[in-house]
Parts: sequence; structure tokens; C-alpha cells
Amino acid sequence: MSARNAWRRADVLLPLASFALVLLAFLVVPGMRGEEVTDASLFNGLQGFAPLGLIALALGLTLIAGEFDVSVLGMQALGGVLAVRAGGSAGLLGVLAAVAGCGLLGLVQGVAIARLQLQSLSVTIGTYVVLLGLTNVIAGDDTLSFGNVGASVWVDQQLLSWFSPRSLITIGIFLAALVLLSATRIGPEIKAIGSNRRAGRGSGVPVERRLAALFTCSGALAGLAGALLSYSNASASLDPGLGPLILATAAAVLGGLSLSGGRGTIWGLLLGALAVALLQQLFAILALPTSTTQIVFGALLLVVVTIDAPELRTTLSGAAVRRRTERQRVEERTP
Amino acid sequence: MSAPRLEMSGITRSFGAVKAVRDVSLRLGPGEILGLCGHNGAGKSTLIHVLAGLVAPDAGAIRLDGEPVVLHTPRDAQRAGIAWVDQELSLVPALSIAENVALGRVDAGLLRHPRRERADTRELLAKVGLDARDPDELVGGLDLGTRQLVEIARALGRGARLLILDEPTATLTDFEIERVFAAVRRVARDGCAVIFVSHRLGEVLELCHRVTVVRDGRVVAERPVAELSAAQLVEAMLGEQLEPAPPRGPNATGERLLRVRDLSVGTRLRGFTFDFDAGRVYGLAGQVGAGTSEVLHALAGLLPAATGSAELAGRPLGLRHPVRNRGRGLGFVTNDRKGEGLFLGRSVAENLTATQLDVVARAGQLIPRRERRHATALAVHAGVAADRLDAPVGVLSGGNQQKTLVGRYLLRDDIKALLVDEPTRGVDIGGRAAIHELLRAAADENRAVIFASSDLDELLELATTVITMRAGRIVGVYPDGVSRQTMLTDLTHGRA
Amino acid sequence: MRRPTTIPLVLALAALIVLAATTDRFFTWDNVKAILSSASLVGIVALGLTFVTLAGSMVSLAVGPSAVLAAMVFLSALNAGLLPALLLAIAAGAAIAALQGALVGLWNVNPVILTIGAGFLIVGFAEKAYGEATVRPEGGGFATLNSVPLGIPVAVYVMIGVALAFQYLLTRTVLGRQILLVGESREAARAAGIPVARVVTAAFALAGAAYALGGAFLGSFNMGASTYLEGTLTFDAIAAVLIGGTSIAGGHGSPLRTLGGALAVAAITDLLLLRGLGTGPQILLKGLLVVTVVIATQRRLNGAQA
Repeated sequence: MSARNAWRRADVLLPLASFALVLLAFLVVPGMRGEEVTDASLFNGLQGFAPLGLIALALGLTLIAGEFDVSVLGMQALGGVLAVRAGGSAGLLGVLAAVAGCGLLGLVQGVAIARLQLQSLSVTIGTYVVLLGLTNVIAGDDTLSFGNVGASVWVDQQLLSWFSPRSLITIGIFLAALVLLSATRIGPEIKAIGSNRRAGRGSGVPVERRLAALFTCSGALAGLAGALLSYSNASASLDPGLGPLILATAAAVLGGLSLSGGRGTIWGLLLGALAVALLQQLFAILALPTSTTQIVFGALLLVVVTIDAPELRTTLSGAAVRRRTERQRVEERTP
Repeated sequence: MSAPRLEMSGITRSFGAVKAVRDVSLRLGPGEILGLCGHNGAGKSTLIHVLAGLVAPDAGAIRLDGEPVVLHTPRDAQRAGIAWVDQELSLVPALSIAENVALGRVDAGLLRHPRRERADTRELLAKVGLDARDPDELVGGLDLGTRQLVEIARALGRGARLLILDEPTATLTDFEIERVFAAVRRVARDGCAVIFVSHRLGEVLELCHRVTVVRDGRVVAERPVAELSAAQLVEAMLGEQLEPAPPRGPNATGERLLRVRDLSVGTRLRGFTFDFDAGRVYGLAGQVGAGTSEVLHALAGLLPAATGSAELAGRPLGLRHPVRNRGRGLGFVTNDRKGEGLFLGRSVAENLTATQLDVVARAGQLIPRRERRHATALAVHAGVAADRLDAPVGVLSGGNQQKTLVGRYLLRDDIKALLVDEPTRGVDIGGRAAIHELLRAAADENRAVIFASSDLDELLELATTVITMRAGRIVGVYPDGVSRQTMLTDLTHGRA
Repeated sequence: MRRPTTIPLVLALAALIVLAATTDRFFTWDNVKAILSSASLVGIVALGLTFVTLAGSMVSLAVGPSAVLAAMVFLSALNAGLLPALLLAIAAGAAIAALQGALVGLWNVNPVILTIGAGFLIVGFAEKAYGEATVRPEGGGFATLNSVPLGIPVAVYVMIGVALAFQYLLTRTVLGRQILLVGESREAARAAGIPVARVVTAAFALAGAAYALGGAFLGSFNMGASTYLEGTLTFDAIAAVLIGGTSIAGGHGSPLRTLGGALAVAAITDLLLLRGLGTGPQILLKGLLVVTVVIATQRRLNGAQA
């Protein structure tokens, strides 16, 4: 029973604490600096959450299974370009092209990683570069700007003060993932694949099939993020830089996911992504210089990753056991 | 006459040039418990892996209850009603018992029904004697014996017609072994056929109805247990009579070398105090959880929770400083050679010299010729084929791997104490004798050799002094020999 | 085990050689010099990164930021002379990297995320310390780093020298062997009495020194340093290491391999340029190279571990 509690603590506390702290800061700190928090601030925060959440989900799904998919960066770029090219007359067509194209590439990648038993970190670094190149080639010399004004306006319209179709789509997909993982056997299977793959395979989990599916989803989600983002910006970006991956990783870590896999929940990930998005918006409201935000962000990552460090935990718990043993010794000796 | 439960005919499988299994045929009826014996490399693992769906045979056919089956994946095996439980267990510690029981079922639908899963699990747990367990408990918190039982329960729940237990008892206490045996007998009574693979001949003779011996990939003997003795079994496995171990020389006792005072590790080890002398082989006798492994790991400096003090040749050892202890003359061989012992991808030579880099270097720079010569000398000394020095150590057999680990600490005058945890786990009879010889020789060179083992035969053969332990404390010290009965009593609460 | 993966590689190599032979001006001395010099900056930095990867710490994403900070330190210290400025930059680079290495060595902190965070901190502090404007050289010493003795940039000589020195360090010193063992299995190294924390810290420190050296050249070449200097340095270095065939899991690979990787990338990029292909195909091919070599390397290692 207590072992269960120990596991749950990290899964539950960290995302709750992160989200609560960030929300608190978001609501309170601007006032302290003479800035206002308005409906628009929350809207902007959720607008930032829209692509970030999808990338975080893409990364998170494969992370729980014990893999690390760097290629989400490339998928985002490719998705953006595909959508811009195919969505000129009908916005939906562009989105479908992005999701299908990136999903297919994700499938190929997933099958290769699963069948050949490859370590995903290095392979996806390679496919990330391949995708950037592919994006570049497909974009060619034509303009990257998106002519379908109707679609651009539609994705960003304000709904219920705080939301837009983009953020609602992200939230909707998160809910779908939540249901999928908790109500079906896929949830425990992914956890098994991430925490003890050999045991999972021996139990009968179709590991290769699940991994291929996860990478397909990862690609499709990142492609979707890129597509909607390019609609919003009315232009595609050839290279989003490392930013989206770093933010998604921060979201995963704050969301209670373990970097070595096998641990974490979807709603924890959701809270983590919201926390990161609100934090970003907070920095924007306070108009902090980039150097400050980078220092804060870097320090945050450093602290969280050190806390997560497995050997630090064994060292500290070892010290605690030692102290307890010493105390018992003293008690036993005194008559 | 009804078809046999399991019929394997003409199974052949090679790995490269190695013919692991040659034209093996096996037959097993419902409710029968078959013991499968053979030393490492004899082919029994391959046979089992074929049944488990991990390896496809090059030739041959498998029938279950008369129906031919094709086993390409573990899922195929599950569908066919074959359950394989091996030492490393296919349970995921991060999930609960109920989740593990339901994990990967081939006949399950997409949706989960947690309440039904829990109820079904409770039923199954009762069948193996675990009725008091909460199905929501995480498997990670269970001890090994309980986990074995959970796996057997899971096999039952999947309607297993054939249950394969692959070396299940090596890491279990006597009490747990009895529970597993009880569960297996119950399962067999209900009609399930069982294959019990084990090195432990005593257990095989106790549990099984028949025994099949495999050697060099072929079946060399198949007899009912009633017609077989342990000696005959060994002879069949090795193809020759085993020489009795040479009588041990007079107990030479050198100076007091290692003083341990009040060594404790939380609740796993309490107040271990002992003085070890040079020239003797000390056997720490204990089952899993007795604290024997903790003594060695703590002395090596690998347990942050350890308290107490220890002194080697007058110099204090650091209980959290493996580097310092290594420098002060302590050699440590782990029981987990794949996880914390060997550098699997590196060559045998590099593994041998890993703890001897100062010997083969000058001013921080390695001298290739010296390293080569030294590695060859170590290999010869340890009994590892010197022509395999450049092969990655991962391809060696268990026995040779273990010899490599011990070999690391040979040919050094500055190693004063050699600590070995489970010296011959997963090693066949031939390799075992060689490793025991190595350890004896190490002690003769004026060292203190301290090993931990749960194998009573090994303790009787190898140790000059036996220290029995239970529940983290020393129970008895026997510098002049001890009977098997006494050891067993000490280790198990007085139950014979 | 070898045959399935070497045949496609050999074919690819043959195809490339044919392509190169049929490309105008590829096999000229001028072109070779161009390839060498374009490989040198990334090469120096990638040689350092190799130690981090070999020690089992996968990759460092602080490579670019470290090089940029070192460039700033170097340029602003040039009024004290070329050598002092260089030594200061290298010392700073080694120290900052050593701190990261200590965390990884002591507590097995996840190196990828750690170096991401460290990279952010480094860039943030650099901007605070040196302001947002470009840092200009405070002395003329940098010209030496830009000089071209015998028609070949100094950076190329340095790259080859560092490659040879690092190779010697890896294969012929105790530290090098310890790095390989720790990279292969951290737990086994600890049980064997190898000082894991010290070894990992040393590996990171060596890497940091190399990043700084590369950064000094980078700053000299641009005659200024700002955060934009970073460009794609980090990922180019990672690509060079991976294409050279060093395993990201640690324990297998070498600086010479990385040198080969850096040269291969430079050569192929150059080939494509000569053929008139733009950045898109160049990036695409670089990515394909990484994927191909990574798969071949992992297959080879999977086979060896039976």
C-alpha cells in the first residue's frame, strides 16, 4: 500500500504543485509589478498552450513508453508547410494533409524503431534533420505565406472569452487521450512498455504494434500543431528552432513524467503543459528581458531535473536510514 | 488413447554454427510434472524458448492435445495455452497485481473493466494461496516468492494447458519454494502439464514425476523419478562421473585481516560483527533476505544506508566509498553480473584489466603490450580461454563470465580480501568446480575469501568457516565444519 | 551479422564517389581546403562532445551556448594578449562544463535536460554580463587564429591536432579507458572501484575546453560574438559525432570517428553545393546520413552483445 502511495506522489504532486504555483504567480505577480491580468492575458496564455500542448502530448506519449522523439520538431515544420500548400482553398484539406503526411512518416519511423530495436533518441535526431530538409525541399522557392484568410481568422476567433478553436482542439485531444489511456488496456500497456519492456513482451503485450502506433500519433499530433500554427501566423516556418521541444520537455517533467519512461499520467501532462504556457505568458506580461526568462527557465529545468535524479534519491534515503539506525543503536544501548 | 498434452518431435535449432538443439522429441501428458535438466549450453533454454514463442525452430513440429501449433511470438504461445514463468519474471513492478494479471491477454477486448479484473484476480490469487493479497497492490512492493505465485496465478487465469517454470527457485527462500511447489502440485492435479527446468537436482527429484536430461542438444536420458538418484542424474548431465571434491587441507590461519564491527543496513542487516583471518574461506550462509548479500555490498562501499565500521589490514574502510575500499585491497564480485558486474560490450581482456589499470599503466598512460600480457596471464589463471580475449564478454557462457569477474582480482598482491556474492549462480557444474578452485587458491595466497551463498552444497564444499544468517543477524558460526541439517535449521527458523 | 548493413553502406559510398568524380572541381586542392576549413569549427567542438557521449551522457545541448560564451570571454579578454585570453576562455569553458559533469557524475541527473537548462543559464548570464550588443575584439590577437599558414586555416591544424590528442587520451590513458568503462555500464564501473563522478566530470571538462577552443575560433572568424553566433552549432556537432559512428548509448566510438564524421558532413555539403543544390537538399542529406549511420551502428552493437 505504501509503495503505491510513493509512486503516486510523484505522479500527482508534481503536476498539481507546478500548475498551482504557476497559476498563483500568473494571477498575483503582474499586479505586484503594476501590470493587469485580463481575459486577454488568459486567452493569450491558452493560445500559447494550443501548439505547446499538442507537442507535449506527442512527446509525452512516447516518453511514457520509454522513448524520446526529437523529430516532433521536424514534424511541426513539415506539417506547417504541407498545410499551407494544401489548404489554400479549403482549410480542412490542409490540416488533413499535414496530419496524414506526418502521421505516415511517424508510422515509418515507429515501425523501424520497433522492428530493428533501435534507441529512439539518436534515430529521431537524424529524422528531425531529415524532416527539416524535406520541409525545405517541399517549400521550394515558393512563398511560405498562407492565402486562405478565412481559415486563419477562423482558427483564432475568441470563444467563451478565453478559448479559440485551436486551444479547444488541443484540450479536446487531451481529453480523448485521457479516455483512451485510462479506459482501455492501452494505458497499462504503454506503462509496461516504458517501465519494463521485456516483462511486457513476455506478458503478451504487442510491443512493436504499440510503439509503431505511438510514433504515428506523435507525428500526427506534431503535424497538426504545425498546421494550425501556420494558419494562425498566416505563414509557414521552415525551422521552429529547438524551442517547442524544450517547452514540451519542461511540460513533461513538470507534469510528473519520468525521463526514463514508465511513469506519468495524461492529466499530469495537461497540467504541466498549462503551467509552462502560463509561465511563458507571465513572462510576456511582465515584459521581462529574454535574458531573465532564460535564466529563470534554465534554473527551473535544472532544479526539476536534479530532484528527479535517481541517485540523489538513493543517497538521501540512505542517509535517512543511517540516521534512523544510529538512533536505534543509541536507544538500545541506554538501559 | 487420447493425444498427449505436449508433443515435440524432431525439434532442431542452430545459432550460426552452434547446433543448440538437435532432433529433440519430448512428450508430456496432462497433469504430469516433467523435470528438464542439463548444464548450461546443453540446449534446454533453447527448447523452452521455442515453447515460449521467443525462438522459432529450424525444423520439427509441436502439438498440443493433438493439434499442431505455430509459436512465432509470446502471444502465439499464450493463445496456445502455454505459460512460461522464468527467473526474471514477466511482471511489471510499476503496475498493480490486477493490472499485471490482465496485461497483454490475447483474448481481452479494448475496454478495461477494473472491477471485474480485481474480482477475477482475487479468485486466482486464492488458488495459489495468496488470498490475503490486495489486487491493487503494486507488484514492485512484493517479494520474489509472492511474485512467482502471482505469475503462476496469471497462467491459471489464462487457461494454461502447459506451465513452464524456468529456474524459478534460485532466488527464493525455502518457505517460498514450498509455496510454489504446493501451487504447482495443485495446478497439475487440475490437469495442467508442467515442465520444471532447474539446476537444483534435489528439487527436481522432489517435485517431478519424470526427468528428461539434455546434453549437447540431444535428449540423453528420460526416466521416472522413482528410478533415478541424484548421482545418476549428474552423470547423465555431464556424461561422466563427477570427481568428489579433493579433501581440504588443514585449516591454515593467517593473521587477523578484516575486522567488522556493528555493520547495519536499515532492517536488512543488524549489527554484524566478525573478525576474518587470512588464508581461510568464509561462507555466509543465508537465503534471500537473510542479509548475506548486504554484508558484502556494504563492505564494498556500495550501500549508502550502511552504518558501522570495518578495518582491512589496519586501515579503515569507507562504507560509502567503493573507490577507497578498492584502493585499500578489497575485491568485490557481484551476484548480478549482467547489471553491475560485467562491461558486456567490451572485450574479455578489458573486463579483466578493469580493476588493474594501475598495473598496466605508468603515469596514467596505458602500455598496450603490458596490458596484453597481463590480460593473457589473468585469463589463463582464471581458466578463461585466452584465444577469446578480444571477444565481447557478453557472448561468453555464464561460467566463463563469472570466471572473468573473479579473474579481475587475481595476480595482485594488494588484494587482501575477496568478497564474492553467489559465486556460481547460473553456472553449470563444470564451471562451478573451476570457480571453487579459483577461490580456494586465492585464499591459499594469504587472503581472506568471503562468499555469500544460499546453496548448501556449495557452502559445504567450499567454506572452511560457515557463518549462518537469518533475518539480518548471525545465527551460528562454525569454524570446524557443520552438517547440512544444522545449516538448514539455522537458516529457516528451526524447520527441517 | 556484418553483411546486411555494410552492403548498403558500401553501395552508398560508391555512389558518392562516382558523384564526386563527375562533379566539376570537387577533387581540387582548393576544394579540399574548403572542405577542411568548413569542417574545422564544428569539428573542434564535436571532438569535445565525443567524450560526453562516450562517458554515457548521450548528448549535450549546451554545446552552442558554451562556445558562444567562450567567444565572448575570449574577445573581451584579448587586451591581455592572445594566449591569456585563450587560456581564460578554455578554463571558463572547462569549469562550466565540469559543473554539469559533476551533477551527472554524482547523481546521474538526466544529461540531456541538464544541458538544456545549463544552456539557457549560460545564454542568459552571457547576455546579462555582456549586454545585448555584439562583443567586439578588445585586441588584435584574434587575427592569428584567422591566419592561413600554407593556405590552410589555423583552425584545421588545431582540429587535427585536437583529434590526435583526444584519440591518444582515449585509447592510451587510464582516464580514457575509465571513460569507456563508465559509458558502457555505470553500475559495473562503480562496483569495480572506478571513480565514476570524477571520470564523468573529467570527460565533461575536456569537452568544455574543446567547446571554448571552438568558440574562440568562431568569435575570431566573425570578429564579434553575440547569441546569434550559435546558429546550428549544437546540432551540427551532434550530427558529426553520430555520423562518425559513436554510439549514443556510450562506451563505443572515438574522436577519430568524429573527425571522420565532421569531414564527411563537410564533404557532402560541399558536393551538393558544387552541384547547385540549395540548403534544403543539404539538410536532407545530412539527416539521412545520421539516420543511416545510427541504424548501422546500433545494429552492429546489438549483434555483438548477443
